[in-house]
Amino acid sequence: MTNDKLIQVKDLKKYYKGERIKALDGVTVDINRGDVMVVIGPSGSGKSTFLRSLNLLEVPTAGSIIFEGVDITQKKGPDGKKLDIDLHRQKMGMVFQHFNLFPHMTILQNMTLAPVQVKNVPQAEAEKKALELLERVGLKDRADAYPIQLSGGQKQRVAIVRALAMEPDVMLFDEPTSALDPEMVGEVLDVMRELAREGMTMVVVTHEMGFAREVGNRVLFMADGKLLEEGSPDAIFNHPQNPRLQDFLSKVL
Amino acid sequence: MLTVQGFQKALEYWKLFLQGVVCTVSLSALTVIFGFILALILAICRMGRSRILKAIATVYVELFRATPMVVQIFVIFYVVFDGVKVLPGFKLFGFIRFDRFFPAVVALSLNSGAYLSEIIRSGIQSIDIGQTEASRSLGLSSVKTMRFVILPQAIKNILPAIANEFVTIIKESAICYTIGVQDIMSAVNAVKGATYRMAEALIIATVLYFCLTYPTSKVIAHFERKMSAGDKR
Ligand SMILES: Nc1ncnc2c1ncn2[C@@H]1O[C@H](COP(=O)(O)OP(=O)(O)OP(=O)(O)O)[C@@H](O)[C@H]1O
Ligand SMILES: [Mg+2]
Repeated sequence: MTNDKLIQVKDLKKYYKGERIKALDGVTVDINRGDVMVVIGPSGSGKSTFLRSLNLLEVPTAGSIIFEGVDITQKKGPDGKKLDIDLHRQKMGMVFQHFNLFPHMTILQNMTLAPVQVKNVPQAEAEKKALELLERVGLKDRADAYPIQLSGGQKQRVAIVRALAMEPDVMLFDEPTSALDPEMVGEVLDVMRELAREGMTMVVVTHEMGFAREVGNRVLFMADGKLLEEGSPDAIFNHPQNPRLQDFLSKVL
Repeated sequence: MLTVQGFQKALEYWKLFLQGVVCTVSLSALTVIFGFILALILAICRMGRSRILKAIATVYVELFRATPMVVQIFVIFYVVFDGVKVLPGFKLFGFIRFDRFFPAVVALSLNSGAYLSEIIRSGIQSIDIGQTEASRSLGLSSVKTMRFVILPQAIKNILPAIANEFVTIIKESAICYTIGVQDIMSAVNAVKGATYRMAEALIIATVLYFCLTYPTSKVIAHFERKMSAGDKR
């Protein structure tokens, strides 16, 4: 692993209802290129808020997120002009628990919309690339299907390659397998495993401890909006220090 | 009393009725187009972040929904356009007086914009927030998200309500004869003035309005079925 910092998160805070709900309460962490960072923690600990803050789907109350050298929480970019968050979001793929495919478009249209509309890739080229990606996840023959015709596992694989079609520098996953029937979890994890092997930088919120152990190179444990422990999978799962983490692991393992 | 001679007499003025149909159709079509554009703007203002725009749009919508159409049209015609003095007096298609027609389009558009904006707003809000999040996370701007992701889904959902509004506009446009627009109702009036008979002309008008609205709702229902069929392919 290189130590090239891709995202630096500094003292990130997200409050709701004034200060009554502290979804994030001062999180500081660096995400390096090539990291597969797995975020674990009990429900309501702020995992989703953390992940969604990284591409500003949630606007943080305080703190900064420096992505590829630019503090994207600022109103103005380094050139003094208004910061264009869309520009940075292109480079951060996101995969949601509920897939969020566009139901009125075919699989192929789902995948070419952003490359064509955002990066001005010619339609034919975008389709070619999309078909290659679909082939990699074994869904090339479903290119002209509509999302409603796919199983949950297939939808999530499409959602992953839809994000990959933008050639992002990092992929963010928020519980990508939580909405799936158990027999479909494996096919999605396989795609993610493959992606990790290719060196994609990934931040993954998951309850799949097996995946965290096997694929992650760093594990973050969050509780009450705070980052309580961070370490290698071995350190976190075999030698947990924080009592909250010990308690959490005793319940989920 | 309806008589055959009465109909014959009334139909001698078929040209007036034909012009009335052209006028009513143009009026309604323009109203739907401008009303829809206005409604989109209003809906976006009401859902947007700016409090001032939100307040203006809300007051506008409530005002137009809470006052009678005939009052609105009189205010637009007699107050806003101050009679006919400020508008050019040429004739569209050689018979529609622009100085009457234009204020009518404005008034109807302003009115239906208010109603349509509520339809559009509820349609947009019925789309899962996850759709917007997925689109924005792919780097699409809020405008492109609206255009490619939200509106196509929302419009499909609200098409029945929009169709209903179109039919309503055709019917309500009949009020425009009160400011001298030469629509179907004004043809009735003209025939009455010339023949001293109104009943037959009214029946003809009824048939004409029905022939406009009924197929319209059928055509839209057909498209609606076609579009929702795409969902289940
Ligand atoms: N829009 C919101 N308004 C108010 N409170 C919120 C909002 N979004 C999240 N929260 C609160 O912030 C806290 C953190 O939520 P978050 O969704 O990040 O937790 P999580 O770790 O992802 O939980 P889960 O495992 O259940 O998904 C929770 O207490 C939640 O209730
Ligand atoms: Mg969550």
